[in-house]
Amino acid sequence: MPLLSEKDTKYLKKTFEEHLKDPIQVLVFVDDPSECEYCDLTRQVLEELSSIDGKIQLGVHHVKREPELAEKYRVEMTPAIILLDANGEDTNIRFYGIPSGHEFSTLIQDIIAVSNNKPVFFNEQQVDLIRSISVPVRIRVFVTPTCPYCPKAVLMAHNAALINRNVTAEMIEANEFPELSMKYGVSSVPHTVINDVHEFIGAYPEHMFVQELLKAVRKV
Amino acid sequence: MLFELKGLEDIKEHYDVLIAGGGPAALGAAVYARRAGLSVLIVEKVLEGGQLNFTTYIDNYLGFPNIEGAELAKRMKEHAESLGTQFLNGSVEKVILDDETRAVVLDDGRTIQAKVLMIATGTDPKRLNVPGESELIGKGISYCATCDGYFFKEKDVVVVGGGDTAINDALYLSKIARSVTVIHRRDKLRAVKILQEKAFQRPNIKFLFDSVVERFVGENKLERVVVKNVKTNETSELHVEGVFVAIGSVPRSDLVKGFVELDENGYIITNEWMETNVPRLYAIGDVRKKNVRQIVTAVADGAIAAVHAAQNYF
Repeated sequence: MPLLSEKDTKYLKKTFEEHLKDPIQVLVFVDDPSECEYCDLTRQVLEELSSIDGKIQLGVHHVKREPELAEKYRVEMTPAIILLDANGEDTNIRFYGIPSGHEFSTLIQDIIAVSNNKPVFFNEQQVDLIRSISVPVRIRVFVTPTCPYCPKAVLMAHNAALINRNVTAEMIEANEFPELSMKYGVSSVPHTVINDVHEFIGAYPEHMFVQELLKAVRKV
Repeated sequence: MLFELKGLEDIKEHYDVLIAGGGPAALGAAVYARRAGLSVLIVEKVLEGGQLNFTTYIDNYLGFPNIEGAELAKRMKEHAESLGTQFLNGSVEKVILDDETRAVVLDDGRTIQAKVLMIATGTDPKRLNVPGESELIGKGISYCATCDGYFFKEKDVVVVGGGDTAINDALYLSKIARSVTVIHRRDKLRAVKILQEKAFQRPNIKFLFDSVVERFVGENKLERVVVKNVKTNETSELHVEGVFVAIGSVPRSDLVKGFVELDENGYIITNEWMETNVPRLYAIGDVRKKNVRQIVTAVADGAIAAVHAAQNYF
């Protein structure tokens, strides 16, 4: 039984045909089912996506059987989804936890953005500001699949990673990683944590997001 | 699920009808305007369907008994889209009026012109404005039960309010949390009977009537809610980790403040054609001064405004 409905598959096929440019590699890191409740579902949904369009090249890896690869891509939790660009370079765009519910559309938009190497958000001036970041920045956006505001917060962070490889941007499905969520006191989403030194709650407009990002950079 | 392929569509510089906000009112207006042959752009900052997306189940929209809010939102959006409505993700920051056009400036600095502008920006949840609230937002205090409910799995939570939204939230949370205490300032609920009956039947929903929240207490995390009984003036404390506030809403009308007539609460005043005091500037949906704020009345507002615009300006 496929996870994606026939209607959605048809819609995605058309969308990918129209909007995908360069091929994109999607790496999925999984663990044993006993360790990871959503790994199998995540793998399955990505398999279905990649079978819709040949430009989406999927690699499924097991963190314990391929520890070096997991380390290379700094995989900390499973399931993890990592997007690589046409040259196989890591975009530093990450999903921890299954991108279900509202977050599924984030994944689709990320795939299109990476394939075109073109962010969805930010004007030229904002892109320049993001480009100017010269220290490593790690943005973690905690979400739930039932949160309508969350995709915007995640996509904006992911877009920042696409613009500047000093930026790593992670979606974290809060329900799947309760300990991490508790550590950061997450109880309303989207909840964004930057480099452990700066945090904000809510989906901010683009210019405010950039300001928060730069504030965090100054604190580093 | 909804796929929003934002930023990929070609947005023009001029539209017949531009709608700020993308809820049921906007989508209703778009359907009627498109069928009248007008070009339509909807500018929505979060998600088309607006507050519908935050409602778990809807049981009062004719023809769709017991439908999920997000599903109805999706269908409405697809309907408007199938007729050729264009969508833009962003927010309208400024409205510029001159003789010929109703222009808007978006948050990315772009200006888009239109012949007719409709304000369909809806409302924000109202805050309690009591001590501790602003400090503990996101640290136990939430305004979105569907977003944040699961953080309180098997825990004790409070819902403040007695209207449809509050009782809907309480019903939703009662399936996740261990207990839900509804705090309401009056001696009976304002929510429709069918919701009240459901709530009274849930064993883990309790009610504190004639009660208001006096303050929230907690260091970095909500710990206690101080509640006052308005009849006896006695205060008591509830030890809970989560509070969901659903005490009504405030209109998002700042955009037109100063040149459009508002009522004392900030709602936009219109005539029965949804016209404001400024020609070719309409207000539709929850942001408008009206007696009944429901999906069906929002959609109707949109239809009326679109029909009026099409007949008079094109």
